[in-house]
Amino acid sequence: MIHRIVRKEFTDMIRDGRFRWSAILVGSLLLVSLAHGWVQARKASQEHAAAQATAREHWETQGEKNPHSAAHYGVYAFKPRLALSFVDEGVDPFTGTSVWLEAHRQNDFLMRPAQDSTAAQRIGALTAAQVLQHLVPLLIILLTFGAFASERERGTLRQLVATGVGWRELALGKALGASGALALLLVPAAVAGAAALVVANPGPTASPLARGAVLAGAYLAYFVVFLALSLAVSARAKSSRTALVFLLAVWVVNGLVAPRVAVDLSKRVYPTPSAFEFARTVEREMADGVEDIAPPDRDESTQRLLAEYGAERVEDLPINAVGVYLQESEEFSNRIFDRNYGALWDAFRRQGILQEALAAAAPSIAVRTLSMGLAGTDVEQHRHFAEAAETYRRDLMRQMNGDMTENSLTGDFSYAAGAELWESVPPLEYEAPPLGWVLGNRILSLAVLGAWLAGAVLLASTQVRRAEVA
Amino acid sequence: MTARTVLKNEWRLLMADRPLKIALGLFVVLLGYALTNGVVWLRFQERTVEATTSGNVERAAALQQELEAIEAGGQPSSPFADPRSPRVLGGPSGSHTAVLAPGPLTALAIGQSDLLPYYYDVNIYTNEASFQQNGEIENPLNLMVGRFDLAFAVVYLLPLLVLALSFNVLSEEREQGTLALTLSQPVSARSVVTMKLAFRALVVAGIVLGVSLLGALATGGFGSPGRILLWSVTVVAYSLFWFALAAWVNALGRSSAWNATVLVGAWLVLVVVLPAAINAAAGLLHPLPSRVEMVTAQREASNDAVNRRSELLARYLEDHPEMAEGVVADEPGLGALSWAATDAVNGRLEEVAAEHDARRTEQTALVRRYRFLSPALLAQEALLDAAGTGDARFADFQSQVREFAEQWREFFVPAIMADEQMNAGVLADVPTFSLADGDSADLARRATAPLAVLAGLLALIGAAAGVGLGRVRGAD
Repeated sequence: MIHRIVRKEFTDMIRDGRFRWSAILVGSLLLVSLAHGWVQARKASQEHAAAQATAREHWETQGEKNPHSAAHYGVYAFKPRLALSFVDEGVDPFTGTSVWLEAHRQNDFLMRPAQDSTAAQRIGALTAAQVLQHLVPLLIILLTFGAFASERERGTLRQLVATGVGWRELALGKALGASGALALLLVPAAVAGAAALVVANPGPTASPLARGAVLAGAYLAYFVVFLALSLAVSARAKSSRTALVFLLAVWVVNGLVAPRVAVDLSKRVYPTPSAFEFARTVEREMADGVEDIAPPDRDESTQRLLAEYGAERVEDLPINAVGVYLQESEEFSNRIFDRNYGALWDAFRRQGILQEALAAAAPSIAVRTLSMGLAGTDVEQHRHFAEAAETYRRDLMRQMNGDMTENSLTGDFSYAAGAELWESVPPLEYEAPPLGWVLGNRILSLAVLGAWLAGAVLLASTQVRRAEVA
Repeated sequence: MTARTVLKNEWRLLMADRPLKIALGLFVVLLGYALTNGVVWLRFQERTVEATTSGNVERAAALQQELEAIEAGGQPSSPFADPRSPRVLGGPSGSHTAVLAPGPLTALAIGQSDLLPYYYDVNIYTNEASFQQNGEIENPLNLMVGRFDLAFAVVYLLPLLVLALSFNVLSEEREQGTLALTLSQPVSARSVVTMKLAFRALVVAGIVLGVSLLGALATGGFGSPGRILLWSVTVVAYSLFWFALAAWVNALGRSSAWNATVLVGAWLVLVVVLPAAINAAAGLLHPLPSRVEMVTAQREASNDAVNRRSELLARYLEDHPEMAEGVVADEPGLGALSWAATDAVNGRLEEVAAEHDARRTEQTALVRRYRFLSPALLAQEALLDAAGTGDARFADFQSQVREFAEQWREFFVPAIMADEQMNAGVLADVPTFSLADGDSADLARRATAPLAVLAGLLALIGAAAGVGLGRVRGAD
């Protein structure tokens, strides 16, 4: 019996002009956005790789100079695009793309692509993720709001029930029929996505295919939530019109209202400082130190070196005391940066967690979080790269100051190192975090989406059983 | 049957419709929440602006004090930060923060103000690279999702409320069988529908404008009546557009359910799908020049300039004057030599930036044409412009800061080149930044195109609805 229901539903749907047109629209938007995302990601990826290579070349061919001058010259790091970012560009347009790694300072990532665009581009970017998170659920609603309600209105529900088919079978049949119709749209997109992933330059993503598979699973769960909700509402609604209005309201709250409400709420609960205040705090702490972090004392540092080497004057030291002092200042400022940037990143993380928790009211937040996480375009993975770049900067500074300390004497400004030293610094090689790390960060969203899935399926199975035939 | 009768009956009907009352109540609550978000954000920006202003005053006072102390025979706090040197007085330690006060109606539309920089520290080293900075500190996640402000509620949610109020304005009468009765009176379907919708438009616009004016009142936005007028006109035109659309669909004589489906579909296409599709098409057809390439070009520009300078020692001392132990700090001509190199870098940076900006402006102009396809984009643009949080005001601010940086250099660089010292007397003449906020004529000029197109769309659909309603008969 069930396969007959499935076949009937499936045939009904693909014969329905409304479904055909909306499916063609959503399907083509999905494919276009995938293609667009892929082209963009590939272009960005190539650009970044080229820029990174040029930055390295600049570093290696900077000519002879004092190592500390080289430290000031620094290098640029460009954030690599991960393989799956073509599905979901996530926060990438709103984080900078490059950072200057120089002496004494932890710089911000600059050049946010969104700053170059217009305000219009902030009210809707067409990415595959947007289509999957917003338009596919809408299509599911349009497909299924009448599943029971319309049959009831036409009087065919009574006949169906009279055949002795169980409610459970009926619901499952309708769900599978709709899924079959949707699969016509989603399976080709998934195949195209997987193919693009294989063909694409994989970038520094660990296991892109595994990430892709989990991503597909998350979206599938999200679609099942909508399918089950829609069937449940259709079974209990007074009329198909009521069902449609109610489901559309759910859709608006889920996709449009709740995410923005959550943003403002999280900002109020976990406020961040203004950029002005932040910069002034860092400046003040760099000058005076803070709590138990005290700025290095140049005289003390010199006295210690004199005692250590048994020398009378700094000129007699076998090393460059300035190099030692510079490195001490570097270690000091690193602690100031860790303190301030750490607090900022933590505030961002708390805002994100609060928003993830609010996914209890809107599953789109949970699937959005998982989607960005798996695509490698969420805030946590931006931080992961920012911290890798900062670690690289600190190692670079240590090497430069170390070379200056060992190979020149205090007060000797004529010392110049050359390409040999520059080339001895390994290039920045970034490794994206593994899948386990990403999922570990996203336990909350996994749990909330899981709860939505279980809740929606349970709701559907209980409500369908209580449906009235007429 | 007079207009008064229709309005009175409509009010009774509205009061009797519980779901509709709930929807209206919910809408008011959401508008209130949106407004408080805007106010919180405005206060945050105002505090920052105040801090930058008092920072300017404090810095100037400290320099003044030190200069006076030196003139009275004292010593500078450090021989390398001697404020008498124009490179110090006009450099980072003497810099002036140029700030853009929040737009007069920021509380109504946060717009681009959370993304674009609204203050810059200006000193003699300000160059094109200085403009590549981030705006306010903000979680990128929040930037991506967007804020829940009044502008968002107007652009996205207001049409839904309008449609909920008017999708069955005529079809319901037909379905209940009251249409024939109504039209048996000496009235036309056109005038009945117009009056019914006028009542609903009064309710919706009354709520939205009421909350907007409350926001303006609470945040001092009444100082710019032109902006409030533009905001109100846009809100009214945009909601009338949706009412006209509902009237037109009703005139087609189909069922309420059909009307609802078609109108929600129209909302989806015009508000959700079209802006996204336009953005995608714009990105595909007119890609913005890459900033990544610009970083490399800039780096090469400054490499050339720096390599031309033979004195790496000078460079080193410039970075770390405190390390020179006073040996060469007073070397004559060092300042001029160093400035020559800085100037060369700036010149190259300007070339690179100008090329990039030219391409960007060209692409943006092309992209902006597409906004005429979506009333939502037009409304958004006009609302942000009215609030003073749109792209135009930020671009204007940036070009004013560029001019100010030029003034600043003109003040200090001649002294650097001549190796002159400055004294406390010059402080009064140091340039300060004052924003010349675009006048209302500018605003009106910018708003003309989007409003005209919006009005055109409204007229077109209104006319179609009028013709359609003229054909409606009581019994069909």
